Amino acid sequence: MRIFTAVIAIAAGILVLGGYFFPALADIQTLLLNWAIILAGMAALVGIFNLISVHTDKVRRREKGSTYSAILVIALVATFVFGLILRPDHSAMAILMSGIIIPVEAALMGLLTVSLIYAAIRLLRRRADVMSIVFLITAALLILGSATLPFGNIPLLGTLVRPWITQVLALGGARGILIGVALGTLTTGLRVLFGADRPYGGN
Amino acid sequence: MTTLDLITAILSFLFTLLIFSYLIGDNPLFRIAVYIFVGVSSGYIAAIAWWQVIWPRLIQPLISAMLTGSLLEKGLIFVPLLGAVLILMKASPRLAGMSRGVMAFLVGVGAAVTIAGAVMGTLIPQVMGTINSFDLASASARNISLIEVIFNGAFVLAGTIFTLTYFHFGARAKVDGSTRRNGLIEISAWAGRIFIGITLGTVFAGVYAAALTALIERIMSLFNFLGNFL
Repeated sequence: MRIFTAVIAIAAGILVLGGYFFPALADIQTLLLNWAIILAGMAALVGIFNLISVHTDKVRRREKGSTYSAILVIALVATFVFGLILRPDHSAMAILMSGIIIPVEAALMGLLTVSLIYAAIRLLRRRADVMSIVFLITAALLILGSATLPFGNIPLLGTLVRPWITQVLALGGARGILIGVALGTLTTGLRVLFGADRPYGGN
Repeated sequence: MTTLDLITAILSFLFTLLIFSYLIGDNPLFRIAVYIFVGVSSGYIAAIAWWQVIWPRLIQPLISAMLTGSLLEKGLIFVPLLGAVLILMKASPRLAGMSRGVMAFLVGVGAAVTIAGAVMGTLIPQVMGTINSFDLASASARNISLIEVIFNGAFVLAGTIFTLTYFHFGARAKVDGSTRRNGLIEISAWAGRIFIGITLGTVFAGVYAAALTALIERIMSLFNFLGNFL
């Protein structure tokens, strides 16, 4: 079974990767990607079913916070059933999106203004090393350079310093981080394709 | 204002207030809002997964293949159907082992797509971008001086190299058993820390600006809602 699963992963990976470089494999690549999309959709449904089952168990055992779990399950099942009957583009479903999902996301994002300031102060208290100080000075300069201040703009900050930091210094650092992440991703992907890593349970 | 708009506005007002109640500390109202949000979002995602993935890509082709399809079409649609059934086994701890083959397929395809994305979407464009920082012809077309291009390009190149060396953890063991990186790499890594600090500070400032915009938008929506009734 372990060899069988590894063969499936390696064969599927090589065929899909080959499709990017050899036009002859493009049809097989499209077919395999389509299957993967279907299976990912089913995996999402299984994940949501697991969420329901975890919270239903909490309600059944009357654990602490089970009222919240009951609210979650009711909201989830009701939305899913309405979504199945009405389809997601129905106006009633749009109410859920514009009345609950978007406002809650935006309000949680708004709460970040407080959390981020708190985190920055904690960072300065707990770890006042070179990277932390550079990090906070850069953030302060950029926020001051882009904000409309009551006493007017600080000379050169918004016109010279801010563009130079974002378009030159931060760009260099971001390129280094992105290339590093891409190299790490490439190595991890290749380890899966060579069968060295088997995160699907093949040891 | 139509009835649907009114319901949306009331829900939006209510949920924004419930979330902002967190400013006075964690409380049941905030938790109710968050749990409803998680439930509604998950239900919405499940409905989307059904109508935009499972139905058009699996159920509809299956029905048409069964009614009018050739043997090959039936066979091609049978494979993801079998995979879908096997992946459902993951819901049961006893039968979860049966879905291992399907998970292996998903991991294999995911690894291939990730490799292609990393090479064609990040590595090549970022390396080309660093090279193009010294593109003198393009700079002169935009009336940018030669010195400015070389000066800025040098900083971008230095930032990229120093940041990459910061993540280089290769070291040789010394006679006394201690390990230390090469001196040149140690200096480059130190400079890389400065560039990483600047980059993360820039990201922080961007996220903070976005959060502030969201906060102002929500506060304005609360006032606008109340303004409709005052």
